Amino acid sequence: MISLSARNVAVALTCVALILLPAFGSDFFVDFVATRTLMLGLAASTMVFLSAYGGMVSLAQWLIFGVAGFAVGNVVAESGRGLNLGWGPWTGVFIALVAATLLALLLGILSARSTGIYFLMLTLTYAVVGFFFFGQVTTFSGFGGITGIDPPGFFDDRPKRLYYAALVLSMLAYVGFRAIARTPFGLALQGVRDDPVRMSSLGFNVQLHRTLAFTLAGFVAGLAGVLNIWWNGQIDPTSISIGPTLDLLIIAVIGGISHLEGAWLGAFVFIGANIYLRDIPFLGSIEGLLEERLLAEERFNTVIGLLLLLIMLASPDGLAGIIARIEHGIRLAFRRSNPEGDGSSLRTNGQ
Amino acid sequence: MTSNAAVTQIESHRSLLWLESVTVAFGGLLALSSVDLEVVEGDRLAVLGPNGAGKTTLFNAIAGDITPSEGKVLIKGVDCTALPSRLRPQLGVARTYQKTRLFPGLTVEDNLYLAQTGKQRRHLSLWRNAKDAELRAKAREAAGMVWLTDQLSAQVADLAHGQQRQLEIGIALVTEPDLIMLDEPASGLSKGERERLVELLEALPVDSTLILIEHDMEVALSVADRVVVMSDGEVVATGTPDEIRRNPLVHAIYLGEEAAS
Repeated sequence: MISLSARNVAVALTCVALILLPAFGSDFFVDFVATRTLMLGLAASTMVFLSAYGGMVSLAQWLIFGVAGFAVGNVVAESGRGLNLGWGPWTGVFIALVAATLLALLLGILSARSTGIYFLMLTLTYAVVGFFFFGQVTTFSGFGGITGIDPPGFFDDRPKRLYYAALVLSMLAYVGFRAIARTPFGLALQGVRDDPVRMSSLGFNVQLHRTLAFTLAGFVAGLAGVLNIWWNGQIDPTSISIGPTLDLLIIAVIGGISHLEGAWLGAFVFIGANIYLRDIPFLGSIEGLLEERLLAEERFNTVIGLLLLLIMLASPDGLAGIIARIEHGIRLAFRRSNPEGDGSSLRTNGQ
Repeated sequence: MTSNAAVTQIESHRSLLWLESVTVAFGGLLALSSVDLEVVEGDRLAVLGPNGAGKTTLFNAIAGDITPSEGKVLIKGVDCTALPSRLRPQLGVARTYQKTRLFPGLTVEDNLYLAQTGKQRRHLSLWRNAKDAELRAKAREAAGMVWLTDQLSAQVADLAHGQQRQLEIGIALVTEPDLIMLDEPASGLSKGERERLVELLEALPVDSTLILIEHDMEVALSVADRVVVMSDGEVVATGTPDEIRRNPLVHAIYLGEEAAS
């Protein structure tokens, strides 16, 4: 049963605002800020899910996201690099999701025995291998990448329909991950996170739980990858290199890697910084000193690095952690002002 | 105890737990040396010994956290020497750990519910059903047994140490095991909490089979009806609590030769 907590009320109000956004937001904002935020948030939510509920910080999520994109590209594109199968877009979606899920299953089986820093490094290795695979195996891509990938005709009404697709999938992922956390599987996954040795002595197959959680997260990352390829229309190995792989981690950390909401919060800050910080007078005035693209990239990395540092100093649990603390403060104040009440109307659900 | 294989098989069927010449070596260190042990239904066995005697290694070998280098471990007549720890709850074995091992991110009720789902094979389900309601009811009942009813919704990380030790025992009990193994349940408890623990252990159903590792002799000897004393990986004395209290070898092990004499 869904409780009427402050957290749920805030999430519901945000969802309503997001549903209404295309009615009052500019096309630019909806397409370049909101849709990208939702897509990146969806991908980052898989990292947060694995970390918050399974204790696994995976750097392979961006690879799985990219594999779904490459699968769509190879299946749908009719000319250029790749397989050029020229099949329908929905067939591409199906194959992309199967490929992403099977890859996640395989990687999950390979890494389920590792924990902590070893798991992180192993998944980083997968990401690097994936980058070189698509760069060097020209049958599937090559460094030039695959271009001219069109979304299904249904999404021609851009940006609204693609935005709503990203919104619906984000909502489903958010609600789904939270619901899974309360199922026997989700509770067992949290038990594996807290104490795998004790879980094993209670009769649980710890590796199987980790593998299944990784597979589930891979499926959702695949969905985000499909949306991204529809939005972008092209994909190349550079887009799944170490830089973007770490960007996803930065998004999750900025937002708060222990809070599902943090995935989308972090994505919003990341995309917002990328788009709007160039308009700040001081930062804008140094434009032209170097080649514009390079300057923009370096300036962005510096700014997002400083932003990450500030947020980490203020709250190791990211932006969602700050919000959780504010909510906790309000709840305490509410209790003090109403000592008779139990404050249940403001009670938050644990992750 | 005989080492004849045929007799062992027959004897072991009557035993809940049967250890035959169990040896555990870590490189050159012999943590357990040819330990023989039998536990029958209803036994309340205390395993005593100084630090490094091999008590926890013995538990790990029984629970499957360590595979013995030599010897056999039979539970209910089933040779499970090399059986992984995760399959032993199916044979009715439950254990606690010397260092508290709980799920601090979950509530007390979730901990007690989760403990049952492994044995019930419900842990892969993505749906909640009537069986879960039943398991939740049992979780609440178990919380009552270890006096944690008023903490059901509390996050385990927020519990006091004594309450966490109570929950450790609750997790072992809620699986309705045939053999409960408690590894230093009184560790880190205050005098009052120890008395409460003894009360809790004495309140266990009379047919419960219990193996208890405990440094606190008062706790161990008041709960157990049989005692095994270990030293340097070997069983050096067995007997009733009174016999062990009078045993000069036990005094020597705990207090040193001079004090014992």
